[in-house]
Amino acid sequence: MTSVRMGEIAVACSAGEELVALGLGSCIGLTLIDRANGVAGLAHVVLPESRAGATEPGKFADLAVPELIARLRRAGATEGRLEAVLAGGAKMFELGSELDIGARNEAAVRSALSRARISVVAAATGGNRGRTVKVMPSEGTVTVREAGGETVTLLAAGRAGRAGRSAVAGART
Amino acid sequence: MTPRLNDMQLDALRELANIASGTAATALGQMLGQEVGLSVPVALALPLADAVDACGTAESLVSGVVIPLEGDIDGLVLLLIPAEHAAKLCELLGVQAGSEVGDSALCEIGNILGTAYLNGLSAMTGMTLGPRPPHLTTDMLGAIVASLLAETSGDSDAVLVLDSELDLQNDPCSITFLLLPSSGGVTGLLAPLGLAEME
Repeated sequence: MTSVRMGEIAVACSAGEELVALGLGSCIGLTLIDRANGVAGLAHVVLPESRAGATEPGKFADLAVPELIARLRRAGATEGRLEAVLAGGAKMFELGSELDIGARNEAAVRSALSRARISVVAAATGGNRGRTVKVMPSEGTVTVREAGGETVTLLAAGRAGRAGRSAVAGART
Repeated sequence: MTPRLNDMQLDALRELANIASGTAATALGQMLGQEVGLSVPVALALPLADAVDACGTAESLVSGVVIPLEGDIDGLVLLLIPAEHAAKLCELLGVQAGSEVGDSALCEIGNILGTAYLNGLSAMTGMTLGPRPPHLTTDMLGAIVASLLAETSGDSDAVLVLDSELDLQNDPCSITFLLLPSSGGVTGLLAPLGLAEME
């Protein structure tokens, strides 16, 4: 199991490998997966936009999406087959001063994906609960679990998930 | 801006945390009528990816009380209480854990400890620092800490975490006490001590 922490990106393509982002709050766990080739990557996106001189591409939505695509291509993925699954983007606290980073993260990731012509096939985003997302590239599955909740399949082997708001979210893109 | 801190600066920040959390431990002890132990605080300047792990296990269920700072520096105080310890605290205060009253009791503990901590910091640095109203949520530790770091860290690729542990003597209950200053806030804390020059 590879833990993908704040601002990190990881790619996996071997049987039995797992990518996990533990405890996503306002961050987005962005999965891109080529199910035909059994290759997937996970980025733990922290903020919507980079400023000049940013050194950690995984941290920012605008840099994380192209970086993840490039790494997946190097690992043998076909760009035209990539599908996206989003988890996270919650608003954990109702702080008066807070700009809703979770919602801005989701919007920024979606717009970077649409620039790259990649569809979001499932999503578990928004709300006010933390989530853990788990990706099993060789099986082509993505699951999510909310704090104190059950594991929900967002992307099952062979078909897109229908959990929660995923159908609606997928249709929007 | 990245806070690159030398050993002397980290020592000074640790000492600030020590005195400030000592004030908070005394306040908690008075409230609960029992001794409260205090661990030696830790001052860490970390890459963002390591910061959550430094605060605890990402998936563990904790009650988090956030107290944003008001005054001379930006940042926040965060109390992390393992869910079962939060229930114990509520029991000691005679309120039902998980109820509205229980939640507001935890917020009040946050308020009292946060105020004591900030008073300790103010006394040493001469800064004006006060708490804004506290907010409580019970969730995965990683989700709480990461969301707050996303706000305080901004463009920095490293963050400062000042971590103290308070432990009740007579009951199994520990509270992790974190100060997460914004990157500008770190300079603000060090300036009154004459240590603001970053390397």
